[in-house]
Amino acid sequence: MSGERDAACRDCRHFEGEAAALERAMPALASLSSAHGANRADDGLCALHDRYVRASAVCASFARVTALIE
Amino acid sequence: MTEQAITGAPTASSSGGRAPWWTKEDWWAVVLGLCLVIVGCGLFLGGSSLAWIAVTPAKWADLGQLGADFAAKWPRYLAQLVLWLALIPGVLLTLGHRLRDTVPAFLFLYVTSVLIYTLGQWAQAVPLNLEPPLVALIVGLLLANLNVLPRAFDAGFRVEFYIKLGVVLLGATLPFTLIVWAGPVALLQATIVSVVTFGVIFWVARALKIDPRFAATLGVGGAVCGVSAAIAISAAVGGKKQDAASVISIVILWAIVMVFALPFAAAALHLPAGVGGAWIGTSEFADAAGIAAAQAYGGMAAKFPGALPGAADQAVAAFTLMKVIGRDMWIGIWAIVLSIVATTRWDSTGIDNKPSAGEIWRRFPKFVIGFLVASLIITLVAQSVGHAAYTKLADPGLVTPIKSLRVWAFTFGFLSIGLTTRLRDLSGIGGRPLAAFSVGVLVNVILGLVLSVYVFGGYWATLGQ
Repeated sequence: MSGERDAACRDCRHFEGEAAALERAMPALASLSSAHGANRADDGLCALHDRYVRASAVCASFARVTALIE
Repeated sequence: MTEQAITGAPTASSSGGRAPWWTKEDWWAVVLGLCLVIVGCGLFLGGSSLAWIAVTPAKWADLGQLGADFAAKWPRYLAQLVLWLALIPGVLLTLGHRLRDTVPAFLFLYVTSVLIYTLGQWAQAVPLNLEPPLVALIVGLLLANLNVLPRAFDAGFRVEFYIKLGVVLLGATLPFTLIVWAGPVALLQATIVSVVTFGVIFWVARALKIDPRFAATLGVGGAVCGVSAAIAISAAVGGKKQDAASVISIVILWAIVMVFALPFAAAALHLPAGVGGAWIGTSEFADAAGIAAAQAYGGMAAKFPGALPGAADQAVAAFTLMKVIGRDMWIGIWAIVLSIVATTRWDSTGIDNKPSAGEIWRRFPKFVIGFLVASLIITLVAQSVGHAAYTKLADPGLVTPIKSLRVWAFTFGFLSIGLTTRLRDLSGIGGRPLAAFSVGVLVNVILGLVLSVYVFGGYWATLGQ
């Protein structure tokens, strides 16, 4: 169960859920709404599927959000 | 060699689960709005008032009067600016915006808002139809599309935050009994219109061979709360990024058209202020644009009481009840229902995007809580001082200053709509999606008018009386 939860989009490197990044990706969003609003919950963009998804979504292409730093 | 999460501002991922409350502007609008209301109540009960700092321009007919008003009030404007600067950039900092962007942006916003508010108080503003919300929108649109200001200033032009703060303050000017009385009517009317509008847009879009996820996002964008609904539903059904961007652009385009069209159409039909506000609440797509239209209509009603009966505040109150209580609050339920349909009825996207009941709360527009609590606070204060003292003392000493601060917050929001709406940012408006949405707009406007005038007109015309 916890493994499934750990593999959700919110922890995937293809997922972008940061408000500023979403407003950059969809510049008109901040005109009459906001990526900081409660309505958005924790949703974000999946760069792999080019779709807008829940942070809790899962798929077979999950890749953990870590970067290697020398 | 170490592993480090890629992070920016706090997110669901970086906080190990859900996004923390301080990353959501709804909660900040509640905190700030209720703090102002509580301080206002405290000062009032202690024999003082927020009136000094909640300064507004007086009506004027010539430059001499205008100069004298500013000469007398400039320390109060300065103090108000300091108050806003002490509150707003700090909140925007917690949302991830830099002070070096938000402070100059807010200074520009405040000074321009003072000029627009002052213009609206000019005696000639009435015959020239210079309604401050519409003037703010036009000025903002011109500045944004002529590239007068750096884009980094958008950090201080946070439309939704200012509007949500204004709605919380609006709660403090409405008795709780009024919300309880009119809320169910608003909910019934809004539900009828929302369901019909969604059905029409979805059906036309599907008839035009538009993907069901795109059609659902379009439908909710027109039926519930505009851009905010569009992104919520796009995520709930797993829509394509370019489809979400397209719906956002279509909603903005129509919202800008309607913000000018609806008040003048309502005036041409001589609708009472409350009825006009209810119609705007049913037929405008975005909260910010709708409040601009409703406030403009309230302003018209105040200036032409013979032709447009009712009080100016009835328009904004009816709009807010209709839009916030009737439409916005239910976005979580729309998200769950459409998500279930998407996962069970439509082609798979390869993503398991199942809903959970907790989504109703997560997507709930929390500023509504602030609106209701503010109303409850002011109602309790009114009860504690009694009706006579409330009318004589609390109205000028407590409610009017909060109303003034609300008008400032809304003016910042209206100006910010224009300042952040750049035509070149509106992308991917295809002919078929625009056609489907436009049919929904037509049905929505007619049905909204019929319900606001003929079915529930009695409620809206006498709202708060």
